[in-house]
Amino acid sequence: MQPIIQVEKLTKRYRKTDKPAVNNISFNVQPGEFFAFLGPNGAGKTTTISILTTTLAKTSGNITIAGYDINSQAKDVRQNVGIIFQNPSLDLNLSAEENIRLHVNLYGVYAYKPLFRLMPKEYQSQVIEMAEFMGLQNDLFKPLKTFSGGMKRKLEIIRGLMHKPKVLFLDEPSQGLDAVSRRDLWTYLRNVAKTQNTTIFLTTHYIEEAENADRVCIVNHGQIIFLGTPSEMKNRLLGKYLVIDAENRSMLSSQIESFKSEITQDGKFKIYFEQQTPQQILAQIKTPLTCMELHTPSLEEAYMNLIENKTQEATV
Amino acid sequence: MKPFQKDLNAIVVIAAREVLRFFKDWKTSLVFSLMFPVLFLGILGGSIAQNLGVGLGYNYLQFALLGMVAATIAMNTMMSVTSLVEDRENDFTQEIFVAPISRYSIILGKIVGGSITAILQLFAFVIIALVMGISIGLSAIGWILLLAPLICISGGTLGVLVASIFSSSPKTADKGVIMFVFAQMFLSGAFIPINNSSGVLGALSHAMPMTYLVDLLRGLVYQGTPFYSQIAMYNPLLDLAVVVAISIASFVVGTFLFVRSERNR
Repeated sequence: MQPIIQVEKLTKRYRKTDKPAVNNISFNVQPGEFFAFLGPNGAGKTTTISILTTTLAKTSGNITIAGYDINSQAKDVRQNVGIIFQNPSLDLNLSAEENIRLHVNLYGVYAYKPLFRLMPKEYQSQVIEMAEFMGLQNDLFKPLKTFSGGMKRKLEIIRGLMHKPKVLFLDEPSQGLDAVSRRDLWTYLRNVAKTQNTTIFLTTHYIEEAENADRVCIVNHGQIIFLGTPSEMKNRLLGKYLVIDAENRSMLSSQIESFKSEITQDGKFKIYFEQQTPQQILAQIKTPLTCMELHTPSLEEAYMNLIENKTQEATV
Repeated sequence: MKPFQKDLNAIVVIAAREVLRFFKDWKTSLVFSLMFPVLFLGILGGSIAQNLGVGLGYNYLQFALLGMVAATIAMNTMMSVTSLVEDRENDFTQEIFVAPISRYSIILGKIVGGSITAILQLFAFVIIALVMGISIGLSAIGWILLLAPLICISGGTLGVLVASIFSSSPKTADKGVIMFVFAQMFLSGAFIPINNSSGVLGALSHAMPMTYLVDLLRGLVYQGTPFYSQIAMYNPLLDLAVVVAISIASFVVGTFLFVRSERNR
Protein backbone atom coordinates (compact mmCIF):
# COMPACT_ATOMS: atom_id res chain seq x y z
CA MET A 1 0.00 0.00 0.00
CA GLN A 2 1.27 3.49 -0.89
CA PRO A 3 2.03 5.46 2.33
CA ILE A 4 -0.17 8.52 2.85
CA ILE A 5 2.77 10.44 4.35
CA GLN A 6 6.30 9.83 3.05
CA VAL A 7 9.18 11.70 4.69
CA GLU A 8 12.70 11.10 3.35
CA LYS A 9 15.82 12.63 4.86
CA LEU A 10 14.02 15.73 6.14
CA THR A 11 16.29 18.45 7.55
CA LYS A 12 15.35 21.90 8.79
CA ARG A 13 17.96 24.41 9.82
CA TYR A 14 16.64 27.78 11.05
CA ARG A 15 18.52 30.93 10.18
CA LYS A 16 21.30 31.90 12.57
CA THR A 17 21.36 28.54 14.36
CA ASP A 18 24.22 26.03 14.63
CA LYS A 19 22.24 22.82 15.00
CA PRO A 20 19.40 21.73 12.74
CA ALA A 21 15.98 21.62 14.46
CA VAL A 22 15.22 18.46 12.46
CA ASN A 23 18.17 16.38 11.31
CA ASN A 24 17.81 13.93 8.42
CA ILE A 25 14.68 12.08 9.57
CA SER A 26 12.71 9.58 7.50
CA PHE A 27 9.40 7.82 8.20
CA ASN A 28 6.20 6.72 6.48
CA VAL A 29 2.59 6.75 7.66
CA GLN A 30 0.03 4.34 6.18
CA PRO A 31 -3.55 5.32 5.22
CA GLY A 32 -5.93 5.07 8.19
CA GLU A 33 -3.06 4.79 10.67
CA PHE A 34 -3.08 6.52 14.07
CA PHE A 35 0.50 7.83 14.23
CA ALA A 36 1.82 9.50 17.39
CA PHE A 37 4.80 11.84 17.07
CA LEU A 38 6.29 12.41 20.51
CA GLY A 39 9.27 14.12 22.04
CA PRO A 40 10.32 16.62 24.70
CA ASN A 41 10.13 20.40 24.20
CA GLY A 42 12.51 21.54 21.48
CA ALA A 43 12.80 18.05 19.98
CA GLY A 44 11.59 19.17 16.55
CA LYS A 45 7.91 18.14 16.73
CA THR A 46 6.36 21.52 15.91
CA THR A 47 8.97 22.15 13.21
CA THR A 48 8.11 18.81 11.57
CA ILE A 49 4.35 19.34 11.77
CA SER A 50 4.73 22.90 10.40
CA ILE A 51 6.68 21.57 7.41
CA LEU A 52 4.17 18.76 6.83
CA THR A 53 1.29 21.24 6.90
CA THR A 54 3.13 23.54 4.40
CA THR A 55 3.45 26.55 6.72
CA LEU A 56 7.24 26.27 6.97
CA ALA A 57 9.81 25.56 4.25
CA LYS A 58 12.20 22.63 4.72
CA THR A 59 15.96 22.95 4.24
CA SER A 60 16.29 19.59 2.45
CA GLY A 61 14.56 16.24 2.00
CA ASN A 62 11.56 14.88 0.12
CA ILE A 63 8.01 14.81 1.46
CA THR A 64 4.79 13.66 -0.16
CA ILE A 65 1.35 13.71 1.42
CA ALA A 66 -1.55 11.87 -0.24
CA GLY A 67 0.74 11.50 -3.26
CA TYR A 68 1.42 15.24 -3.63
CA ASP A 69 4.82 16.86 -3.28
CA ILE A 70 4.91 19.30 -0.40
CA ASN A 71 6.82 21.95 -2.36
CA SER A 72 5.51 21.87 -5.89
CA GLN A 73 1.93 20.83 -5.01
CA ALA A 74 1.40 22.65 -1.71
CA LYS A 75 -2.20 23.59 -2.52
CA ASP A 76 -3.12 19.95 -3.22
CA VAL A 77 -1.46 18.93 0.04
CA ARG A 78 -3.48 21.54 1.97
CA GLN A 79 -6.68 20.36 0.30
CA ASN A 80 -6.05 16.86 1.61
CA VAL A 81 -5.12 17.63 5.20
CA GLY A 82 -7.00 18.98 8.20
CA ILE A 83 -5.19 20.70 11.05
CA ILE A 84 -6.06 21.20 14.70
CA PHE A 85 -3.57 23.79 15.92
CA GLN A 86 -1.89 24.01 19.29
CA ASN A 87 -3.39 27.50 19.79
CA PRO A 88 -7.12 27.87 19.12
CA SER A 89 -7.74 29.01 15.56
CA LEU A 90 -11.38 30.05 15.81
CA ASP A 91 -12.90 33.47 15.25
CA LEU A 92 -14.46 34.24 18.63
CA ASN A 93 -16.58 37.04 17.20
CA LEU A 94 -18.52 34.58 15.05
CA SER A 95 -20.87 31.71 15.85
CA ALA A 96 -19.82 28.05 15.68
CA GLU A 97 -21.63 27.54 12.37
CA GLU A 98 -20.13 30.70 10.86
CA ASN A 99 -16.65 29.38 11.67
CA ILE A 100 -17.49 26.10 9.93
CA ARG A 101 -19.02 27.92 6.94
CA LEU A 102 -15.92 30.08 6.46
CA HIS A 103 -13.81 26.91 6.51
CA VAL A 104 -15.76 25.10 3.79
CA ASN A 105 -15.74 28.28 1.71
CA LEU A 106 -11.98 28.67 2.06
CA TYR A 107 -11.49 25.05 1.04
CA GLY A 108 -13.71 25.56 -2.00
CA VAL A 109 -16.18 22.87 -0.92
CA TYR A 110 -19.12 25.28 -1.23
CA ALA A 111 -19.45 28.83 -2.62
CA TYR A 112 -19.83 31.62 -0.06
CA LYS A 113 -23.33 32.46 1.12
CA PRO A 114 -23.95 35.05 3.85
CA LEU A 115 -26.50 32.91 5.75
CA PHE A 116 -26.73 29.28 6.87
CA ARG A 117 -30.17 28.85 5.32
CA LEU A 118 -28.83 29.98 1.94
CA MET A 119 -26.16 27.26 1.95
CA PRO A 120 -26.86 24.00 0.03
CA LYS A 121 -28.99 21.39 1.85
CA GLU A 122 -26.04 18.99 1.70
CA TYR A 123 -23.92 21.39 3.77
CA GLN A 124 -26.72 22.01 6.26
CA SER A 125 -27.28 18.31 6.91
CA GLN A 126 -23.53 17.59 7.11
CA VAL A 127 -23.05 20.31 9.75
CA ILE A 128 -26.03 19.17 11.81
CA GLU A 129 -24.99 15.53 11.60
CA MET A 130 -21.40 16.28 12.71
CA ALA A 131 -22.62 18.59 15.50
CA GLU A 132 -24.94 15.85 16.78
CA PHE A 133 -22.06 13.39 16.68
CA MET A 134 -19.91 15.75 18.72
CA GLY A 135 -22.73 16.78 21.06
CA LEU A 136 -22.76 20.42 19.89
CA GLN A 137 -26.15 20.41 18.13
CA ASN A 138 -27.68 22.90 20.61
CA ASP A 139 -24.76 25.31 20.40
CA LEU A 140 -24.21 25.62 16.65
CA PHE A 141 -25.62 29.12 16.34
CA LYS A 142 -24.36 30.47 19.65
CA PRO A 143 -21.41 32.89 19.79
CA LEU A 144 -18.11 31.19 20.57
CA LYS A 145 -17.59 33.48 23.57
CA THR A 146 -20.01 31.20 25.45
CA PHE A 147 -18.04 28.00 24.60
CA SER A 148 -15.81 26.10 27.05
CA GLY A 149 -12.31 24.96 26.04
CA GLY A 150 -13.58 21.43 25.35
CA MET A 151 -16.44 22.68 23.17
CA LYS A 152 -14.05 24.82 21.13
CA ARG A 153 -11.79 21.83 20.52
CA LYS A 154 -14.74 19.72 19.39
CA LEU A 155 -15.78 22.52 17.04
CA GLU A 156 -12.26 22.66 15.60
CA ILE A 157 -12.45 18.92 14.94
CA ILE A 158 -15.82 19.25 13.17
CA ARG A 159 -14.39 22.09 11.11
CA GLY A 160 -11.15 20.23 10.37
CA LEU A 161 -13.09 17.25 9.02
CA MET A 162 -15.66 19.15 6.93
CA HIS A 163 -13.61 19.00 3.73
CA LYS A 164 -13.04 15.24 4.29
CA PRO A 165 -9.24 15.35 4.66
CA LYS A 166 -7.21 12.20 4.20
CA VAL A 167 -4.89 13.18 7.05
CA LEU A 168 -5.82 15.01 10.25
CA PHE A 169 -2.88 16.70 12.01
CA LEU A 170 -3.43 17.25 15.71
CA ASP A 171 -0.80 19.47 17.34
CA GLU A 172 -1.17 19.14 21.13
CA PRO A 173 -4.98 18.95 20.86
CA SER A 174 -5.57 18.37 24.58
CA GLN A 175 -3.57 21.33 25.81
CA GLY A 176 -5.56 23.28 28.37
CA LEU A 177 -8.33 20.69 28.65
CA ASP A 178 -9.35 18.97 31.89
CA ALA A 179 -9.25 15.18 32.22
CA VAL A 180 -12.96 14.67 31.41
CA SER A 181 -12.83 16.88 28.32
CA ARG A 182 -9.68 15.07 27.17
CA ARG A 183 -11.35 11.67 27.49
CA ASP A 184 -14.49 12.86 25.65
CA LEU A 185 -12.40 14.42 22.93
CA TRP A 186 -10.57 11.18 22.27
CA THR A 187 -13.75 9.13 22.25
CA TYR A 188 -15.20 11.43 19.58
CA LEU A 189 -11.98 11.60 17.64
CA ARG A 190 -11.49 7.85 17.45
CA ASN A 191 -15.08 7.35 16.30
CA VAL A 192 -14.86 10.01 13.63
CA ALA A 193 -11.47 8.82 12.36
CA LYS A 194 -12.74 5.26 12.17
CA THR A 195 -15.95 6.10 10.32
CA GLN A 196 -14.18 8.40 7.82
CA ASN A 197 -11.00 6.27 7.58
CA THR A 198 -8.91 9.36 8.33
CA THR A 199 -5.19 9.07 9.10
CA ILE A 200 -4.33 10.74 12.41
CA PHE A 201 -0.95 12.38 12.97
CA LEU A 202 -0.73 13.41 16.62
CA THR A 203 1.78 15.34 18.67
CA THR A 204 1.09 15.46 22.39
CA HIS A 205 2.62 15.97 25.81
CA TYR A 206 0.12 13.54 27.32
CA ILE A 207 1.89 10.27 26.59
CA GLU A 208 -1.09 8.16 27.68
CA GLU A 209 -2.99 9.56 24.67
CA ALA A 210 -0.57 7.67 22.42
CA GLU A 211 -1.30 4.29 24.12
CA ASN A 212 -3.92 3.56 21.45
CA ALA A 213 -1.75 4.68 18.55
CA ASP A 214 -0.87 2.15 15.86
CA ARG A 215 2.70 3.42 15.88
CA VAL A 216 4.75 5.80 17.95
CA CYS A 217 7.65 7.89 16.67
CA ILE A 218 9.87 9.51 19.29
CA VAL A 219 12.11 12.40 18.34
CA ASN A 220 14.80 14.03 20.44
CA HIS A 221 17.33 16.68 19.42
CA GLY A 222 15.89 16.60 15.89
CA GLN A 223 16.42 12.86 15.35
CA ILE A 224 14.20 9.79 15.55
CA ILE A 225 15.18 7.67 18.55
CA PHE A 226 12.32 5.16 18.33
CA LEU A 227 9.76 4.13 15.73
CA GLY A 228 7.42 1.19 16.38
CA THR A 229 4.21 0.08 18.08
CA PRO A 230 3.51 1.13 21.70
CA SER A 231 3.86 -2.50 22.86
CA GLU A 232 7.19 -2.88 21.06
CA MET A 233 8.38 0.25 22.80
CA LYS A 234 7.32 -0.98 26.21
CA ASN A 235 8.67 -4.49 25.71
CA ARG A 236 11.96 -3.39 24.28
CA LEU A 237 12.68 -0.79 26.88
CA LEU A 238 11.17 -2.06 30.08
CA GLY A 239 10.71 -5.58 31.45
CA LYS A 240 7.53 -6.81 33.08
CA TYR A 241 8.08 -8.04 36.62
CA LEU A 242 6.53 -9.46 39.75
CA VAL A 243 7.32 -8.15 43.22
CA ILE A 244 6.90 -10.80 45.93
CA ASP A 245 7.77 -11.19 49.59
CA ALA A 246 7.43 -13.79 52.35
CA GLU A 247 8.12 -14.05 56.07
CA ASN A 248 10.66 -16.78 55.29
CA ARG A 249 12.79 -14.86 52.78
CA SER A 250 15.66 -17.38 52.66
CA MET A 251 13.29 -20.20 51.60
CA LEU A 252 11.68 -17.92 49.01
CA SER A 253 15.10 -16.92 47.71
CA SER A 254 16.07 -20.56 47.13
CA GLN A 255 12.83 -21.28 45.24
CA ILE A 256 13.31 -18.41 42.73
CA GLU A 257 16.98 -19.06 41.95
CA SER A 258 16.22 -20.14 38.40
CA PHE A 259 14.55 -16.80 37.53
CA LYS A 260 16.14 -13.48 36.65
CA SER A 261 15.58 -11.46 39.83
CA GLU A 262 16.89 -8.72 42.06
CA ILE A 263 16.21 -7.50 45.58
CA THR A 264 14.42 -4.20 46.01
CA GLN A 265 15.47 -1.51 48.51
CA ASP A 266 12.99 -2.79 51.10
CA GLY A 267 14.19 -6.40 50.75
CA LYS A 268 11.43 -7.72 48.50
CA PHE A 269 12.11 -9.87 45.43
CA LYS A 270 11.67 -8.48 41.92
CA ILE A 271 11.31 -11.29 39.31
CA TYR A 272 11.47 -10.36 35.61
CA PHE A 273 9.47 -12.39 33.14
CA GLU A 274 9.40 -12.36 29.35
CA GLN A 275 8.66 -15.86 28.06
CA GLN A 276 6.91 -17.23 31.15
CA THR A 277 3.59 -16.10 32.53
CA PRO A 278 3.28 -14.90 36.16
CA GLN A 279 1.29 -18.10 36.91
CA GLN A 280 4.17 -20.31 35.76
CA ILE A 281 6.50 -18.45 38.13
CA LEU A 282 4.10 -18.57 41.05
CA ALA A 283 3.48 -22.30 40.50
CA GLN A 284 7.09 -23.02 41.47
CA ILE A 285 6.93 -21.05 44.74
CA LYS A 286 5.80 -23.06 47.76
CA THR A 287 6.61 -20.47 50.45
CA PRO A 288 3.51 -18.63 51.75
CA LEU A 289 3.65 -15.09 50.29
CA THR A 290 2.91 -11.90 52.22
CA CYS A 291 3.02 -9.67 49.15
CA MET A 292 2.48 -10.11 45.40
CA GLU A 293 2.42 -7.23 42.89
CA LEU A 294 2.34 -7.53 39.10
CA HIS A 295 4.00 -4.71 37.17
CA THR A 296 3.40 -4.04 33.46
CA PRO A 297 4.98 -0.80 32.23
CA SER A 298 2.99 2.13 30.83
CA LEU A 299 3.93 3.91 27.63
CA GLU A 300 4.80 6.95 29.72
CA GLU A 301 7.37 4.96 31.72
CA ALA A 302 8.87 3.58 28.51
CA TYR A 303 8.98 7.10 27.08
CA MET A 304 10.65 8.55 30.16
CA ASN A 305 13.14 5.70 30.18
CA LEU A 306 13.97 6.28 26.53
CA ILE A 307 14.38 10.06 26.82
CA GLU A 308 16.43 9.81 30.04
CA ASN A 309 18.75 7.14 28.60
CA LYS A 310 19.33 9.19 25.46
CA THR A 311 19.98 12.31 27.54
CA GLN A 312 22.53 10.40 29.63
CA GLU A 313 24.19 9.04 26.48
CA ALA A 314 24.41 12.54 25.09
CA THR A 315 25.91 13.84 28.35
CA VAL A 316 28.51 11.04 28.48
CA MET B 1 -14.80 24.27 -8.04
CA LYS B 2 -12.06 25.28 -10.53
CA PRO B 3 -8.83 26.78 -9.10
CA PHE B 4 -9.73 30.28 -10.33
CA GLN B 5 -13.24 30.06 -8.84
CA LYS B 6 -11.79 28.74 -5.60
CA ASP B 7 -9.44 31.72 -5.24
CA LEU B 8 -12.20 34.18 -6.16
CA ASN B 9 -14.46 32.53 -3.59
CA ALA B 10 -11.65 32.82 -1.01
CA ILE B 11 -11.26 36.57 -1.68
CA VAL B 12 -15.01 37.02 -1.12
CA VAL B 13 -14.94 34.89 2.06
CA ILE B 14 -11.98 36.70 3.62
CA ALA B 15 -13.52 40.09 2.77
CA ALA B 16 -16.94 38.98 4.03
CA ARG B 17 -15.42 37.88 7.32
CA GLU B 18 -13.98 41.36 7.91
CA VAL B 19 -17.38 42.93 7.27
CA LEU B 20 -19.20 40.29 9.35
CA ARG B 21 -16.86 40.91 12.28
CA PHE B 22 -17.45 44.66 11.97
CA PHE B 23 -21.21 44.21 12.33
CA LYS B 24 -21.09 41.31 14.84
CA ASP B 25 -19.05 43.34 17.27
CA TRP B 26 -20.88 46.54 16.39
CA LYS B 27 -20.47 48.12 19.82
CA THR B 28 -16.67 47.92 19.67
CA SER B 29 -16.71 48.91 15.99
CA LEU B 30 -18.87 51.94 16.78
CA VAL B 31 -16.69 53.01 19.71
CA PHE B 32 -13.49 52.68 17.65
CA SER B 33 -15.06 54.37 14.63
CA LEU B 34 -16.15 57.34 16.72
CA MET B 35 -13.06 57.43 18.96
CA PHE B 36 -10.67 58.42 16.20
CA PRO B 37 -12.68 61.37 14.81
CA VAL B 38 -13.52 62.53 18.35
CA LEU B 39 -9.87 62.45 19.45
CA PHE B 40 -8.24 63.82 16.33
CA LEU B 41 -10.91 65.97 14.71
CA GLY B 42 -12.84 67.00 17.82
CA ILE B 43 -10.09 67.45 20.37
CA LEU B 44 -6.83 67.93 18.41
CA GLY B 45 -8.42 69.62 15.39
CA GLY B 46 -10.72 71.75 17.55
CA SER B 47 -7.83 72.96 19.70
CA ILE B 48 -5.62 73.80 16.71
CA ALA B 49 -8.52 75.59 15.00
CA GLN B 50 -9.19 77.74 18.07
CA ASN B 51 -5.59 78.57 18.86
CA LEU B 52 -3.61 78.47 15.61
CA GLY B 53 -6.13 78.31 12.79
CA VAL B 54 -7.27 81.95 12.97
CA GLY B 55 -4.64 83.45 10.68
CA LEU B 56 -4.64 80.71 8.05
CA GLY B 57 -7.10 82.43 5.76
CA TYR B 58 -9.19 79.29 5.26
CA ASN B 59 -11.35 77.02 7.45
CA TYR B 60 -8.87 74.83 9.31
CA LEU B 61 -11.44 72.27 10.46
CA GLN B 62 -12.62 71.64 6.91
CA PHE B 63 -8.96 71.29 5.83
CA ALA B 64 -8.26 68.87 8.72
CA LEU B 65 -11.42 66.87 8.13
CA LEU B 66 -10.41 66.02 4.55
CA GLY B 67 -6.89 65.07 5.62
CA MET B 68 -8.10 62.91 8.47
CA VAL B 69 -10.71 61.17 6.36
CA ALA B 70 -8.07 60.21 3.78
CA ALA B 71 -5.48 59.23 6.39
CA THR B 72 -7.90 57.25 8.56
CA ILE B 73 -9.48 55.11 5.87
CA ALA B 74 -6.10 54.42 4.28
CA MET B 75 -4.60 53.47 7.64
CA ASN B 76 -7.55 51.29 8.62
CA THR B 77 -7.18 49.29 5.41
CA MET B 78 -3.44 49.12 5.92
CA MET B 79 -3.79 47.77 9.45
CA SER B 80 -6.29 45.19 8.29
CA VAL B 81 -3.59 43.81 5.97
CA THR B 82 -0.74 44.04 8.49
CA SER B 83 -2.85 42.10 11.01
CA LEU B 84 -2.01 39.09 8.82
CA VAL B 85 1.50 39.18 10.24
CA GLU B 86 0.60 40.06 13.83
CA ASP B 87 -2.04 37.33 14.08
CA ARG B 88 -0.28 34.67 12.03
CA GLU B 89 0.04 32.33 14.98
CA ASN B 90 -3.28 33.26 16.59
CA ASP B 91 -6.96 32.84 16.03
CA PHE B 92 -8.50 32.45 12.59
CA THR B 93 -5.47 33.77 10.69
CA GLN B 94 -3.75 30.38 11.15
CA GLU B 95 -6.71 28.76 9.46
CA ILE B 96 -6.46 31.13 6.49
CA PHE B 97 -2.76 30.37 5.99
CA VAL B 98 -3.26 26.60 5.76
CA ALA B 99 -6.26 26.78 3.40
CA PRO B 100 -5.66 25.59 -0.19
CA ILE B 101 -5.69 29.09 -1.65
CA SER B 102 -2.97 31.35 -2.99
CA ARG B 103 -1.27 33.97 -0.82
CA TYR B 104 -2.37 36.56 -3.37
CA SER B 105 -6.03 35.72 -2.67
CA ILE B 106 -5.45 36.14 1.07
CA ILE B 107 -3.91 39.58 0.58
CA LEU B 108 -6.57 40.71 -1.91
CA GLY B 109 -9.34 39.48 0.41
CA LYS B 110 -7.86 41.44 3.29
CA ILE B 111 -7.55 44.60 1.14
CA VAL B 112 -11.16 44.34 -0.07
CA GLY B 113 -12.55 43.55 3.41
CA GLY B 114 -10.47 46.25 5.08
CA SER B 115 -11.58 48.76 2.43
CA ILE B 116 -15.27 48.04 2.98
CA THR B 117 -15.06 48.41 6.76
CA ALA B 118 -12.89 51.53 6.41
CA ILE B 119 -15.51 53.12 4.13
CA LEU B 120 -18.21 52.21 6.64
CA GLN B 121 -16.21 54.13 9.25
CA LEU B 122 -16.50 57.25 7.07
CA PHE B 123 -19.96 57.72 8.48
CA ALA B 124 -18.47 58.31 11.92
CA PHE B 125 -16.53 61.25 10.50
CA VAL B 126 -19.69 62.66 8.96
CA ILE B 127 -21.49 62.39 12.33
CA ILE B 128 -18.65 64.14 14.19
CA ALA B 129 -18.36 66.80 11.48
CA LEU B 130 -22.10 67.48 11.76
CA VAL B 131 -21.91 67.66 15.56
CA MET B 132 -18.98 70.12 15.31
CA GLY B 133 -20.82 72.18 12.69
CA ILE B 134 -18.15 71.78 9.99
CA SER B 135 -19.60 72.60 6.59
CA ILE B 136 -18.08 70.42 3.91
CA GLY B 137 -20.60 70.68 1.10
CA LEU B 138 -22.04 68.04 -1.17
CA SER B 139 -19.27 68.20 -3.76
CA ALA B 140 -16.68 67.44 -1.07
CA ILE B 141 -18.74 64.45 0.08
CA GLY B 142 -18.97 63.35 -3.55
CA TRP B 143 -15.19 63.53 -4.01
CA ILE B 144 -14.62 61.66 -0.73
CA LEU B 145 -16.94 58.84 -1.79
CA LEU B 146 -15.47 58.73 -5.28
CA LEU B 147 -11.88 58.60 -4.06
CA ALA B 148 -12.52 56.33 -1.04
CA PRO B 149 -11.92 53.04 -2.93
CA LEU B 150 -8.64 54.38 -4.37
CA ILE B 151 -7.53 55.64 -0.94
CA CYS B 152 -8.36 52.25 0.62
CA ILE B 153 -6.59 50.24 -2.06
CA SER B 154 -3.57 52.49 -1.78
CA GLY B 155 -3.51 52.04 2.02
CA GLY B 156 -3.98 48.29 1.63
CA THR B 157 -1.14 47.89 -0.85
CA LEU B 158 1.10 49.93 1.45
CA GLY B 159 0.06 47.50 4.18
CA VAL B 160 1.32 44.59 2.06
CA LEU B 161 4.74 46.25 1.85
CA VAL B 162 4.82 46.90 5.61
CA ALA B 163 3.66 43.32 6.29
CA SER B 164 6.46 41.96 4.11
CA ILE B 165 9.02 44.00 6.09
CA PHE B 166 7.82 42.62 9.40
CA SER B 167 6.83 39.12 8.29
CA SER B 168 10.02 37.54 9.63
CA SER B 169 9.48 39.01 13.10
CA PRO B 170 5.76 39.01 13.96
CA LYS B 171 6.45 39.95 17.58
CA THR B 172 7.76 43.36 16.57
CA ALA B 173 5.14 43.85 13.85
CA ASP B 174 2.57 45.64 16.03
CA LYS B 175 5.07 48.24 17.26
CA GLY B 176 6.57 48.68 13.79
CA VAL B 177 3.17 49.19 12.20
CA ILE B 178 2.18 51.82 14.79
CA MET B 179 5.46 53.69 14.17
CA PHE B 180 4.82 53.61 10.44
CA VAL B 181 1.19 54.74 10.82
CA PHE B 182 2.03 57.69 13.07
CA ALA B 183 4.92 58.81 10.87
CA GLN B 184 2.51 58.85 7.90
CA MET B 185 -0.18 60.67 9.87
CA PHE B 186 2.06 63.46 11.14
CA LEU B 187 4.27 63.94 8.07
CA SER B 188 1.60 63.70 5.36
CA GLY B 189 -0.16 66.93 6.22
CA ALA B 190 -3.31 65.16 7.31
CA PHE B 191 -3.51 67.23 10.51
CA ILE B 192 -1.40 70.28 9.88
CA PRO B 193 -0.32 72.11 6.73
CA ILE B 194 3.13 71.05 5.51
CA ASN B 195 3.49 73.54 2.64
CA ASN B 196 6.28 75.33 4.52
CA SER B 197 8.07 72.20 5.79
CA SER B 198 11.76 72.23 4.88
CA GLY B 199 14.98 70.34 5.56
CA VAL B 200 14.68 66.75 6.82
CA LEU B 201 11.01 67.15 7.74
CA GLY B 202 10.21 68.54 4.30
CA ALA B 203 12.04 65.71 2.56
CA LEU B 204 10.32 63.07 4.74
CA SER B 205 6.92 64.66 4.13
CA HIS B 206 7.39 64.48 0.38
CA ALA B 207 8.59 60.87 0.67
CA MET B 208 5.41 59.74 2.44
CA PRO B 209 2.89 58.02 0.12
CA MET B 210 0.09 59.38 2.31
CA THR B 211 1.07 62.96 1.44
CA TYR B 212 -0.05 62.45 -2.16
CA LEU B 213 -3.34 60.80 -1.15
CA VAL B 214 -4.23 63.66 1.19
CA ASP B 215 -3.13 66.26 -1.35
CA LEU B 216 -5.15 64.57 -4.11
CA LEU B 217 -8.37 64.74 -2.09
CA ARG B 218 -7.81 68.32 -0.98
CA GLY B 219 -6.76 69.41 -4.49
CA LEU B 220 -9.98 68.06 -5.98
CA VAL B 221 -12.22 69.50 -3.25
CA TYR B 222 -10.60 72.95 -3.28
CA GLN B 223 -10.10 73.28 -7.05
CA GLY B 224 -11.72 76.46 -8.37
CA THR B 225 -11.80 78.06 -4.92
CA PRO B 226 -9.62 81.00 -3.79
CA PHE B 227 -7.88 78.67 -1.28
CA TYR B 228 -6.62 76.16 -3.86
CA SER B 229 -3.15 77.68 -4.26
CA GLN B 230 -2.74 77.94 -0.48
CA ILE B 231 -3.76 74.34 0.24
CA ALA B 232 -2.87 72.10 -2.70
CA MET B 233 0.82 71.28 -3.09
CA TYR B 234 0.75 69.44 -6.43
CA ASN B 235 -1.50 69.16 -9.43
CA PRO B 236 -4.14 66.47 -8.69
CA LEU B 237 -3.06 64.56 -11.81
CA LEU B 238 0.49 64.33 -10.48
CA ASP B 239 -0.85 63.20 -7.10
CA LEU B 240 -2.94 60.56 -8.84
CA ALA B 241 0.03 59.33 -10.89
CA VAL B 242 2.22 59.06 -7.77
CA VAL B 243 -0.53 57.28 -5.80
CA VAL B 244 -1.14 54.74 -8.58
CA ALA B 245 2.60 54.15 -9.11
CA ILE B 246 3.28 53.67 -5.38
CA SER B 247 0.26 51.37 -5.03
CA ILE B 248 1.30 49.11 -7.90
CA ALA B 249 4.92 49.01 -6.74
CA SER B 250 3.93 48.31 -3.11
CA PHE B 251 1.58 45.51 -4.13
CA VAL B 252 4.00 43.79 -6.50
CA VAL B 253 7.12 44.10 -4.33
CA GLY B 254 5.25 43.62 -1.02
CA THR B 255 3.38 40.51 -2.15
CA PHE B 256 6.52 38.96 -3.62
CA LEU B 257 8.54 39.56 -0.43
CA PHE B 258 5.65 38.56 1.85
CA VAL B 259 5.00 35.27 0.07
CA ARG B 260 8.71 34.45 0.00
CA SER B 261 9.51 35.31 3.61
CA GLU B 262 6.32 33.81 5.04
CA ARG B 263 7.58 30.24 4.61
CA ASN B 264 11.34 30.82 4.68
CA ARG B 265 11.82 31.38 8.38
